[in-house]
Amino acid sequence: MDQARDLETVKELVAAASAALERSRRRIDDLNVYPVPDGDTGTNLALTARAVVTALEESSARDRPSLAKVITRAALLGARGNSGVILSQIVRGAAEALGAAPGAVDGSTIASALRSASDAAYAAVREPVEGTMLSVIRELAEEAEEALAEPPARADLLRALVRRGEEAVARTPEELEILRQAGVVDAGGAGVLELLRGLAASVTGEPLPETNGSGDELRVEAIHQELSRYRYCTGFVVEGEGLDARELERELEVLGDSLLVVGDDTALKVHIHTDSPGSALEAATALGVIECVEIANMHRQTVQREERLAKTIVAAAAGLAGVVAVVAGKGNRRLFESLGVTRVIEGGQTMNPSTAEIVAAVESLEAPDAIVLPNNPNVILTAEQAAGLARKPVFVVPARSLQEGLAAMVAYDPESSGAQNTASMTEALKEVGTGAVTIASRNVEVNGSRVRKGAYLGLQGEEIVAGGASFDEVAAAVVERLLDSPREILTLLTGDQQPELEGLLGEIAERHPDLELDVQAGGQPHYPLLLSAE
Amino acid sequence: MQRNHENTAIVLDSTADFPEARERFANWRVVPLYVRFGDESFRDYVELGPEEFYERLRSASELPTTSQPTPGDFAATYEELAGFDRVYSLHISSRLSGTYESARMAAGQIDGDRVRVIDSTLASAAIAMLALAMQRRLERGTSDEEIEQLVQRFKRDAGLIFTVETLEYLARGGRIGKARALAGQLLHIKPILTIEGEVVPLKRVRGNQKAFQEFARRFQKATTDDPGWRVGIAHAAAPKRLAALEALVHDTRPQAEIEIATTLGAVIGTHAGPGTVGFFWFHDP
Repeated sequence: MDQARDLETVKELVAAASAALERSRRRIDDLNVYPVPDGDTGTNLALTARAVVTALEESSARDRPSLAKVITRAALLGARGNSGVILSQIVRGAAEALGAAPGAVDGSTIASALRSASDAAYAAVREPVEGTMLSVIRELAEEAEEALAEPPARADLLRALVRRGEEAVARTPEELEILRQAGVVDAGGAGVLELLRGLAASVTGEPLPETNGSGDELRVEAIHQELSRYRYCTGFVVEGEGLDARELERELEVLGDSLLVVGDDTALKVHIHTDSPGSALEAATALGVIECVEIANMHRQTVQREERLAKTIVAAAAGLAGVVAVVAGKGNRRLFESLGVTRVIEGGQTMNPSTAEIVAAVESLEAPDAIVLPNNPNVILTAEQAAGLARKPVFVVPARSLQEGLAAMVAYDPESSGAQNTASMTEALKEVGTGAVTIASRNVEVNGSRVRKGAYLGLQGEEIVAGGASFDEVAAAVVERLLDSPREILTLLTGDQQPELEGLLGEIAERHPDLELDVQAGGQPHYPLLLSAE
Repeated sequence: MQRNHENTAIVLDSTADFPEARERFANWRVVPLYVRFGDESFRDYVELGPEEFYERLRSASELPTTSQPTPGDFAATYEELAGFDRVYSLHISSRLSGTYESARMAAGQIDGDRVRVIDSTLASAAIAMLALAMQRRLERGTSDEEIEQLVQRFKRDAGLIFTVETLEYLARGGRIGKARALAGQLLHIKPILTIEGEVVPLKRVRGNQKAFQEFARRFQKATTDDPGWRVGIAHAAAPKRLAALEALVHDTRPQAEIEIATTLGAVIGTHAGPGTVGFFWFHDP
């Protein structure tokens, strides 16, 4: 074969493989739960592949053996993370076999390249695990070897390899328990498959399949995998003479896990998860010159991935004290939950919860202490009764309204005990002024004038302070009462039949320009508006 | 052995948010961290200033990431300072960044203990102010022992308090620590935070005014009414809050000196997010 064409062909193939992987990088990041759920397998594999692309672009290697060397070295130096290091060995195995092949690349050359890739990958890992990129590359080698009985055309062989790769990746959750629990396929294996897809597409001239139809939808459990007990993912290259991978491995293995030391006697790529990257580097400095140092905080990577996967899933750390709150209205429920309430019991205004309901909620909390927010004068006694019956310490913070309950929740700290929280939350109750606008259920007398059934009634605390047919006037009267003493923030929770607030808000803003206003859809029944001033 | 500004150098990393270091002091150097938007990498302050950074952050589809200087970056700076008998290298808390580790590694390759690497356990203007306190001593002549005592006292007594617009940035960057407990996206929740090696939650309040009241309360409680107090203020694209905080410091402790008022650079800005504002105090007459 023409040697100048070798370089061009290899460039094309590698670029196609790298591009295919790049396309699925984010998806593969999100699959990553093994060995550590740091959410960077896709990125690491893509960067490793990209290093090979770049090296080839700059290379003018003419003969196959030197082309193989360029590729091997680029993958080794560019390898990132555990998966990248294993990929660099797959690349090395394949490149060595292909570099030594004399003639055209046929089925048997492909088979021996895959076998050599698989052997190199297995040799690099101290304890090979099935259900990972290792088993995927091994199955590909087996497929190519089985095909040798009746050699297919090259394009057909590649199509068959892609199919086998898909099966192998799909089977990884059966082989590796942690993947099954997380409901994902192996990220590294998926990466190998994407690389193969890219190669195959380049050879067959067929387009790549759409990326999102891959069927490996993420499940929530995927984010609950444990963190590595070590903090830093550390990678570097040592260059020198007469380097001994085994010896360095022995020195490093005490420092952490996920250890990989690969390469030859002039360059070793090291990857380790450790708490003391400095010690790992020091050990290697004794042997040669260090290059390409990368230290990543895996806990950070994990958090980033969690954020991406489950923006709305609040970290369910139980803490020392959990909160049960009695809440009416969907919007209000959301507000309480956003502040860290663990269990919400619906009700309060019309339906008062039973003692048994509160006991059940309290006992379902994971935290050792429980705090109960009754949020209604008629629920406080029930809550206290529940406290006496429950089998764990229960503290009742006597909030008499939803507004008081919210003010108390702002002071809540899950990392403090129930007693400490009760003190600061009860203190917070005293600092909030509350008000409400409701509808008169019968004729009443307010400040000497008569308010008819069905008209608006304004309350400060539990005392009626205003009444009349105009919502704006009644609400404004309540607001002025609440702002008698200096306040910084006024909160308005609108009821299930949302009142028109434009006029009221305009007036408040004009009269109290420094006041911060916070309007939230509370959704409570019977009270078109609940107010609190802090 | 007497230490002075001619035989002793100070190295900061760019998270000290003190870009004018080198112009102001011939014996100071700053080693930049890196900020990455997608595939583009910038050296903090050198290739990406705070203004451009916040501008870019507004339109970026993906949040930036940061990485510490390499040991090589530090080694080059330490070599550049070969003319100095002693180098103090002051860095952002080792629990917030690998910068300290990188510096330590580079220092370890240099003979003897010419380079002393210090984990400030804090961040931003606080580090610059420790450096300024050192420089005052160097300029009048000091010793390693006195510097060591200064560092110990700084770590023990310095106060720092800040608030962020949203905890999202700290969470995404993995720097949220126990402050996660203060989460609350609705109801104008403002977390009051400090740094004790890592980010530590103090309290949450509602609204900016409450946050500033809490700042004033804690600042007053931790300080005294005498002229030895030095204050550093830092903000992330929140100039109005900077002005409000300057007023707060003057009103609470009229004799305190505001030594630094700075914008948080790209690296700290990446992890704290726009709208962050905070201040730092230390008694050093």
